[in-house]
Amino acid sequence: MNQAPKQDTVPGRRYWRGLDELADTPEFRQWVEREFPDGASEWADPVSRRHFMKLMSASFLLAGVGFAGNGCRRPVEKILPFTQMPENYVHGVAQLYATAMPTRSGALPLVVRSNDGRPTKIEGNNLHPDSNGGTDRLAQASILDLYDPDRAADFKKAGQIISSAVAADFLADLARHMQTNRGEGVRFLLEPGNSPSRRRLQRVLSEKCPQAKWHAYEPIGLDVHTRAATLAFYQPVKPVFRYDAADVVVSLDCDFLGSEEDLHNNIRRFASKRQVEGPEGTPNRLYVVEGLMSLTGFQADHRLRVASSAVLQVAAALASEVLGQNLNLADLQNVSQSPAGVDPNWISQCAKDLKANGGRCVVVAGHRQPQAVHLLAHAINAALGNIGKTVLLQAVPETKEGSLAELAQALKGGQVETLIILGGNPVYTAPSDLKWPTVQRQAHTVVRLGYYEDETAPLCDWHLPAAHYLESWGDAHTSDGTLVPIQPLIAPLFGGWTELEVLARLAGDTVASPYAIVRETFAGFVSGGDVEGAWRKFLHDGFLADSAAKPLALKLNKEAVSQALSGPGATALSKENLEVVFHRDYRVDDGRYNNNGWLQELPDPVTKITWDNVVLVSRKTAEELGVKNNDKVDIKLGSGTVRGPIWVQPGLADYSLALALGYGRTRAGRVGQGAGFDVYPLRTTEAQHIAVGATMAKVGETYPISCTQQHWSMEGRPIIREANLEQYRHNPRFAKEMDREELPVVAPLYPNPFDQLKEHGLHQWGMAIDLNRCVGCSSCILACQSENNVPIVGKDQVARGREMHWLRLDRYYSGPPAKTARADTFIREERQQFEEWITNPQVVTQPMLCQHCEAAPCENVCPVNATSHNEEGLNVMTYNRCVGTRYCSNNCPYKVRRFNFFDFNKRPLNKLYWGPLANRAQDELELVKMVRNPQVTVRMRGVMEKCSYCLQRIEQARIEQKTKAGASGDVVVPEGKFTTACAQACPAEAIVFGNLNDTNSRVSKLKQSDRNYSVLPDLLTKPRTTYLAKVRNPNPQMPDYNPGGPLSLQNIEAKMGPPGEENAAEGHKATNEPKGAE
Amino acid sequence: MSAGATHLTPVNIPETPPELQRQPLVGNLRSFGWISNRVSSLSEDPAPLWWWVLFVPSALALGMLVFMVSYQISTGVGVWGNMRPVMWAWDIVNFVWWIGIGHAGTLISAILFLLRQRWRTGVNRAAEAMTIFAVMCAGIYPALHVGRAWYDWWLFPIPNSNSIWPQFRSPLMWDVFAVSTYFTVSVLFWYMGLIPDLAVLRDRARTRVRQFLYGLFALGWTGSNRHWSNYEKAYLILAGLSTPLVLSVHSIVSLDFSVSQLPGWHTTIFPPYFVAGAVFSGFGMVLTLLIPLRSMFKLEDLITMRHIDVMCKVTLATGSIVGYAYAMEFLIAWYSGNPNERFHFMNRAMGPYQWAWLMMVSCNVLVPQFFWFKKLRENLVVVFIISILVNVGMWFERFVIIVLSLHRDFIPSSWGYYRPTIVDICTYIGTFGLFFTCFLLFIRFLPMIAISEVKGVTPQSDPHHLLGGAKEKELVPDED
Repeated sequence: MNQAPKQDTVPGRRYWRGLDELADTPEFRQWVEREFPDGASEWADPVSRRHFMKLMSASFLLAGVGFAGNGCRRPVEKILPFTQMPENYVHGVAQLYATAMPTRSGALPLVVRSNDGRPTKIEGNNLHPDSNGGTDRLAQASILDLYDPDRAADFKKAGQIISSAVAADFLADLARHMQTNRGEGVRFLLEPGNSPSRRRLQRVLSEKCPQAKWHAYEPIGLDVHTRAATLAFYQPVKPVFRYDAADVVVSLDCDFLGSEEDLHNNIRRFASKRQVEGPEGTPNRLYVVEGLMSLTGFQADHRLRVASSAVLQVAAALASEVLGQNLNLADLQNVSQSPAGVDPNWISQCAKDLKANGGRCVVVAGHRQPQAVHLLAHAINAALGNIGKTVLLQAVPETKEGSLAELAQALKGGQVETLIILGGNPVYTAPSDLKWPTVQRQAHTVVRLGYYEDETAPLCDWHLPAAHYLESWGDAHTSDGTLVPIQPLIAPLFGGWTELEVLARLAGDTVASPYAIVRETFAGFVSGGDVEGAWRKFLHDGFLADSAAKPLALKLNKEAVSQALSGPGATALSKENLEVVFHRDYRVDDGRYNNNGWLQELPDPVTKITWDNVVLVSRKTAEELGVKNNDKVDIKLGSGTVRGPIWVQPGLADYSLALALGYGRTRAGRVGQGAGFDVYPLRTTEAQHIAVGATMAKVGETYPISCTQQHWSMEGRPIIREANLEQYRHNPRFAKEMDREELPVVAPLYPNPFDQLKEHGLHQWGMAIDLNRCVGCSSCILACQSENNVPIVGKDQVARGREMHWLRLDRYYSGPPAKTARADTFIREERQQFEEWITNPQVVTQPMLCQHCEAAPCENVCPVNATSHNEEGLNVMTYNRCVGTRYCSNNCPYKVRRFNFFDFNKRPLNKLYWGPLANRAQDELELVKMVRNPQVTVRMRGVMEKCSYCLQRIEQARIEQKTKAGASGDVVVPEGKFTTACAQACPAEAIVFGNLNDTNSRVSKLKQSDRNYSVLPDLLTKPRTTYLAKVRNPNPQMPDYNPGGPLSLQNIEAKMGPPGEENAAEGHKATNEPKGAE
Repeated sequence: MSAGATHLTPVNIPETPPELQRQPLVGNLRSFGWISNRVSSLSEDPAPLWWWVLFVPSALALGMLVFMVSYQISTGVGVWGNMRPVMWAWDIVNFVWWIGIGHAGTLISAILFLLRQRWRTGVNRAAEAMTIFAVMCAGIYPALHVGRAWYDWWLFPIPNSNSIWPQFRSPLMWDVFAVSTYFTVSVLFWYMGLIPDLAVLRDRARTRVRQFLYGLFALGWTGSNRHWSNYEKAYLILAGLSTPLVLSVHSIVSLDFSVSQLPGWHTTIFPPYFVAGAVFSGFGMVLTLLIPLRSMFKLEDLITMRHIDVMCKVTLATGSIVGYAYAMEFLIAWYSGNPNERFHFMNRAMGPYQWAWLMMVSCNVLVPQFFWFKKLRENLVVVFIISILVNVGMWFERFVIIVLSLHRDFIPSSWGYYRPTIVDICTYIGTFGLFFTCFLLFIRFLPMIAISEVKGVTPQSDPHHLLGGAKEKELVPDED
């Protein structure tokens, strides 16, 4: 169990009585030489904001002492805005810094907001040439990791806390030792990454210690894309898929909208093509072949449900259809028998569609699929002329690192004297057949830089705390090849080191300033000229202009493709021979975000389960094996057994068990401890992603699962409206005509006070959400949580329906109306898992947040006037005034209000029921406070809260505009000046917020769209948030084409009659359209 | 008119056939003295064993209520099972249920008084006390179910420096006024009626303390003609004031629901339907309390089978009104054509909470139908069981209205299934502790039957009665 962060317990002085006395000691010299003092960890009391400010000022003071006393010539490492005008720093005004979040394959360009020296909110860098300012959910949540009280905070030797100076001395000794024996017996284990500085340091180290060997390991095999492309195109390249240039996308088990790398770019590009401007526009078409139900499967126009292990056969069948005799792939015939239950017509029609769109289509293979599938996809893409158009090939440096298996072999052979693990958690994530925990101990000395004292930590001799990326200097390339800086916003809270720092020390650099390292690497990218100026611009903009990689035009290596296909075909699955799919969890990734409360409580975008992973099975599998939701089962695969609860997932392939990685951690921290079950014991080096031959047996126990959305069906209500492209073209007003007929209101009995009020409003705020663009990625939920200080409530409270997310993502499954019998509606939610219609459903998602109704039903029922309307159309909530009758929530038809049932901010999650007897540990509370946005009140227990359209941002923009306007009176905030946190984070640009008074604003234009509709218009609440109906683009030639339109539409029609039957006649339109601002 | 009509010719009044004879409201032609002795002795004699047997657990349950309420206030509403979407659950169910029980008292004392229903005198005092204690139990819930109970005073229109007023459009606001007015007037009315009887107890007091306390509360009542005259006028005025309150308080409680737009709540039938239901449950509770009391205190001559019969008939009538309302709700849901309404009522009868709906219909609509049979109305065991079932049914009615409407409304993604917690249950049991503690203290220390009023309905007090005034001693021996 992790302890509260301990302070360095170095004996001796911590305070000095006079500078002279201090300056003479060797400790002080060393102290000054490091660019930041050892940080917060060396003070005895826990970190607080006040304390942090003291720390910051102390560090600057010491830096000054250093220059005066020692005549040091190193540049002052200030973050750029500070170097320009520190004296103009206005207390309380947030500052923005450009940085980047390193990922496995690159980086995500960011702009991070800092309030009084605390990073508080992460946003995408929209200046970056390959970004629209959107981010993914992991980036949004990563800020919470910075303030994780369970982070590794101490330097440790054999479990004993030591000072960082001792660790530095050890590394210096090690460096000397390595140089003398040329690195003999030294092995490095890295995580993948493309930092040029790291690569440079690796080079330096390799030159000095040529015998040292490098290994890289990463449990989610995202590097398969590069490996396959390298094989297919003769030289080291990585593919970049341009979904924004593709009219037809075929995904071979590739969840490019959910769990592949570079998610935000994929979503942005895909959504830009998904857009329909009007009946003339044509959205792209998406074919998905997959075993799991993924976010990409949600968006599919045609989804082929096959076992993951059979995707290779489908890919081969597709390839032989597309390639025909053009490519002589002899082995294709071996595997191209389409698997049982797959309509060959599906594949041939899909191939036809691809061929008709040569150069405007893309076939992508997912990272879970074997290399052969990737090579087939490349072969198809090459044959259709997609290379250079929708598939860009970027040169990448050749990977020289060995694999984890090789390292394990070396360790077993006793060849490793010193093992240096930089990042990663191999004891938890390594394939089970390597027996890593015992193997790791074969090394004489294990040194590890880790962010947590996790499973790997106790098996290390030296444990060095790693710095968060917001505390580090670094660099990386984004997916387009652009160089981006990683610059710190805060001194390391616990004095952690970065990877670069450790590598530099091992290279013999005793000062090891990552700033200097990054700066030096950067100089190599600037050819002459003003390096300092370029550096400043680099840090300010957050990227190096025109540093993107040029796509290469390369020929396909047909032999490589042929060779890859020589494997055996897939075996038939049955209930005794199940397939296991290990997948990257949508929230905790491979387990690295396990201690992040926001991610743990984020409902899985597909299952809507929080705080756990489950064994996902299809209805048929569950039925045949006699299990149902919450039943615990034992899964046996090879020599491994794991135990977890069952969850029936609609749309999953039969005889497939989907297991999410990253749970069941034994040393996670206060948040992640006890969440889910560990599936790594089933994983072997051979079958890291898909394994066949598992059996499953019921244990006879049940396990509670907290799911935020219990009901799966929309029940034929026109909440989410969608149609096929043909239907839309035939009747562009279909969405509006699905409004229920209401009698026209001749004269209102009671005039709405807001109608007069809004005449005084300067702006009229409104929001439009394009459901055609939304892919359900959930970034908006976390952006809102981060911006608005939304607390987490814990698994037990989620089970009781008390989660606090202001913005939720509703997900509905639709089956054919004939199968969704009427009586099913009234059953308990637990029964849905047995219904036949869930076998292969269509899915729709909808962000649901406060609709800011002009005639808000919540307002008139509040006895104390705590919720009311302002003249700009916001339904505002006065927390101070709220007594918590909860009537507003009962009367809210959208159920978007949240109630603080407990003091979620003040009490630890496991002691909510203890009331005043429970207090959060001080270190936890102090750190959690630091992540809060100071512009938003932290709510106490007993009050209602809900989406405010980011009122604080609105007010800030208004104030700024007023200041700027001065006497000119131009006080209307111009379009694009700001937006809400959710809209800002949305990589798909599905959420658009703005001023409805401005007829040129994007939101006004979207509201003019014929697809625009409001949810529950017949209640006459006149919501300010409206939705743009979804338009699917299925292929009428496909065997699974639904001529009646999407299944949800068919269900609505079955309940309500066809849309527009009464309304279509001119002059008899529904009178209840939301008026918006007029 | 003949001039010679100076003397009365004895008219031979034929004996009324037995089936048309009304049972007397005081049995066995008890004398005035007997009535005073009988009723006063309840508070003068030492408490019987059964009183202690009931009182001790009630007081313990009251202690549990105090603990549960403190726990909820100190820790949060989350200790209850309330959730999203069911933000109101047992708290408001129990509030409405107790308020409903509190209805019979004022109905009996005010409306039946104005309608000259003389049978009310035997039961009105206990029923009024029941009302007051039930409203106290009810009042706990709205005051404490809020998230920040220490700010409850914001619901009152108190002038303040911020000029923030309550939201007068909110039915919760109206509720505050309706319930507090009802409680105040009920207490006044009850106390008014007690004054002559308190004077009786004062005059009979054998200890200084009793004499002083009863004397204090008897307000110097001497029984003078002027006192009686003022008393009768005041009583009439209070009855007139209370009468609309009987209708208003539960109508307004029903507006808590019907002002919203939730299917199952948003309906105009609610005010009369709630009032009928409240009277129904109130009479159920009166029967539940008086049937055992009557035998334990040997009050069969004052609370006669005729009283019980009449109350059974009221229960039957109001129960049938409630049943009619249930049917109308379904009819209107179908007739309106509103899919949300239709769904809601189908979901009531067929959905996950079908068991609650079946409990409600069987207890409230089917069970009272047994009261059509005189045999069953005369069987006290049957009446007692039915009276309890009526209150069980009415509890489920509130549960059905509140929880079933909330648990599945417009957006299916937010549907949920509510379950109470142990704290919900213990708080509810605790309110019984409060109710029975108060009621047991009441029957122990105050005259539970209106002595002066009952005397007024004895045959001998009727000047036109054949027996005239003072012969009763010859007719009935005073011993029990």
